[in-house]
Amino acid sequence: MTGSQTTRNAPEATEALRLVRVSKTYGGDGTRVTALDDVSLALPRGTFTAIMGPSGSGKSTLLHCAAGLDKPDSGTVFVDGQELRGRSETELTKFRRERIGFVFQQFNLLPTLTVLQNTTLPLKLAGRRVDLNRARAVLERVGLGQRLDHLPSQLSGGQQQRVAIARALVTAPSVLFADEPTGALDTHSARDVLTLLQESVRVFGQTVVMVTHDPVAASYADAVLFLADGRLVGRMSNPTAQAVAERLTYLGDEVARQRRQQRHQVGLDASVATAGRPRKEI
Amino acid sequence: MFGLAVRSVRRRATAFVATFLAVFLGAVLVMAFGALADTGAATGVSDLDQETLTTMAVVVGGWGLLLVAFAVTSTLTLSVHQRAMEIALLKSAGATPAQLRQMILGEAGLLAVVGALVAVPFGALSGRGLLALLKRTDQVSEEVAYAFGPVALGTGLGVTILAALGAAVVTSRRVAAMRVTAALSSAAAAEPRPKRMGKARVIAGVVFFGISLQLSVMAALAGPEGFDAMQFAGSADIMFGLGLACFAPVLMRWTTTLLAGPILRFSGASGYLAVLNLRQRTAQLASALTPVILFVGIGVGTLWMQVIHNDTTPLSGVSASEEAVETLNFVITGMIVLFACIMLINTLVAATTHRRREFGQQRLVGATHRQVLGMVAAENLVLIVAGLGFGTIAALPTVLPMSYAKTDSWLPDPEPGLWLGTAAVAVVVTLAASLGTARRVLRTPAIETVARAG
Repeated sequence: MTGSQTTRNAPEATEALRLVRVSKTYGGDGTRVTALDDVSLALPRGTFTAIMGPSGSGKSTLLHCAAGLDKPDSGTVFVDGQELRGRSETELTKFRRERIGFVFQQFNLLPTLTVLQNTTLPLKLAGRRVDLNRARAVLERVGLGQRLDHLPSQLSGGQQQRVAIARALVTAPSVLFADEPTGALDTHSARDVLTLLQESVRVFGQTVVMVTHDPVAASYADAVLFLADGRLVGRMSNPTAQAVAERLTYLGDEVARQRRQQRHQVGLDASVATAGRPRKEI
Repeated sequence: MFGLAVRSVRRRATAFVATFLAVFLGAVLVMAFGALADTGAATGVSDLDQETLTTMAVVVGGWGLLLVAFAVTSTLTLSVHQRAMEIALLKSAGATPAQLRQMILGEAGLLAVVGALVAVPFGALSGRGLLALLKRTDQVSEEVAYAFGPVALGTGLGVTILAALGAAVVTSRRVAAMRVTAALSSAAAAEPRPKRMGKARVIAGVVFFGISLQLSVMAALAGPEGFDAMQFAGSADIMFGLGLACFAPVLMRWTTTLLAGPILRFSGASGYLAVLNLRQRTAQLASALTPVILFVGIGVGTLWMQVIHNDTTPLSGVSASEEAVETLNFVITGMIVLFACIMLINTLVAATTHRRREFGQQRLVGATHRQVLGMVAAENLVLIVAGLGFGTIAALPTVLPMSYAKTDSWLPDPEPGLWLGTAAVAVVVTLAASLGTARRVLRTPAIETVARAG
């Protein structure tokens, strides 16, 4: 059975990211919170996917598990066809710096390093040759070619986030994850950052996964996945801000309905509810 | 705002441990020597005994007082600066600079009062121990009754509380004047502080050097007989060490310039990060330099002084009182060196724990545990080199005049064993405290350390 499952779950070469039945709970007995409940998904290379949902829906946990920053309780994550499970902290760190880029809401630039030094840091840590021309080119691309020697504290929020994106892109990662990248930015800077992410997908074939709660931000993506209560509950291709906003409004109702159904089912037959039907993979 | 200060101290007990410890140990040290003055001042004590007790209280206790004031000031300053973010949050919520100053003062006052009061019984016990030692070594006659009174309490409570409040006033002014936006943005929270040194620091440093020089001259001129030279020389290293401590950021920068090349060449990404940190945040990293300098300076200085004294005192003349003074010297040096050592651990643990977020950010960019630890080790290597170098220099104002007074030669016989022993303790303590703390900090998942801002 394990064999057949492995074959079924084996990622295809065109996939950048695959999650197979990933679950994660937080807290102890009394305060148990299910952040991710049996989530499976697969994202092809060169796509821009937004993950949306109300707060507490598990968006960030999903991103952290997918990026190897957090370990799921069960299930498997494949990045670029490589399984993350069973790696030590150090192995995971090394894997991350080779294949994964991450952009945070709060930028997380190192305050003592200049723009150029921040950008090349992942290469230094990986012991790779630092190609300054390439780093400069990436910074040029994000519009900071003139600011190489500035410290983060001398830049605006939007500029800091663009440095963070340059830092994530410089290693040419298989997947670039972004956790609310525009959450701390004004509308104008947010648009710059989103255009930049979109461009990295369309022009350079980068794979980008972005968590956001902003329908306008989501509309820059090729597809939107909706998450509620730790479960994937829907998908939308070629999203527009309006359609996403509408969908989000109804998401609450949908989830409430599903919960009622589930409770009903549990009431009827506990075993049916726990075994569950295999959820459709998105 | 005092209510807020009380709550703040209670909620974040761990954040205040360092300051509390400095106040507590400092008060114990000062009270122990203060008790000697109280004992001497009691009626029925012979003039000779009174002189011995008072001299010891004033000479040794006086320098200890400065040492303690210095330790409390630097620990408190460190802890307030570490909370710049929290203070900015309060400011953004509408706290006026005056309210913030009140809060910081309230916290500092509360900690100092509690720390000093808790120290009273321990100070009384230590004083009793010191007196017992003086009696056992025939420095003081057997019938002197131990007294723990106004001098011990006054100086013990006074110096710690005043030092804490003084440091709180200065630091709170600076912090309260910071712009809210600057303090709130995470990049600015760790913004390098201005490289220029404050005038007060320079003046204080020069004053300490001056006192040290005067003590050295007096020691050199004291002549070979008895303990006169020792009496002056013994404190010269403490004074010189405190003077150097005032210039700690500059000394740290020099050492960094000296060592940056080799570190960059031999230690990869860890060394690269270490050198950048040392260059950009000299002031923060220099906070640990003071206790290393004092530890090495006082340790090497006093022990070496004793060795010179022993070597020059004719063997036949080794009296009970010689041995007694030696024992006493070791005990006093031990107390002060132990204090400096605990301050060193205290400062390193507090400073390293505070870097949780920075370590987290480095790990998120791809630094392995080993690379973060390598960085901490490289930074502390610079600290150790600076501490050993300047600590040894701080020992010279004690050792050179002592040698001149006793042997007519400025250069004493080298004591490699003594120096190596002190250096080894400094190296082990520094590395164990910083790397041990860093290891503990690294146990928290990186993503959590970054989310828990502040």
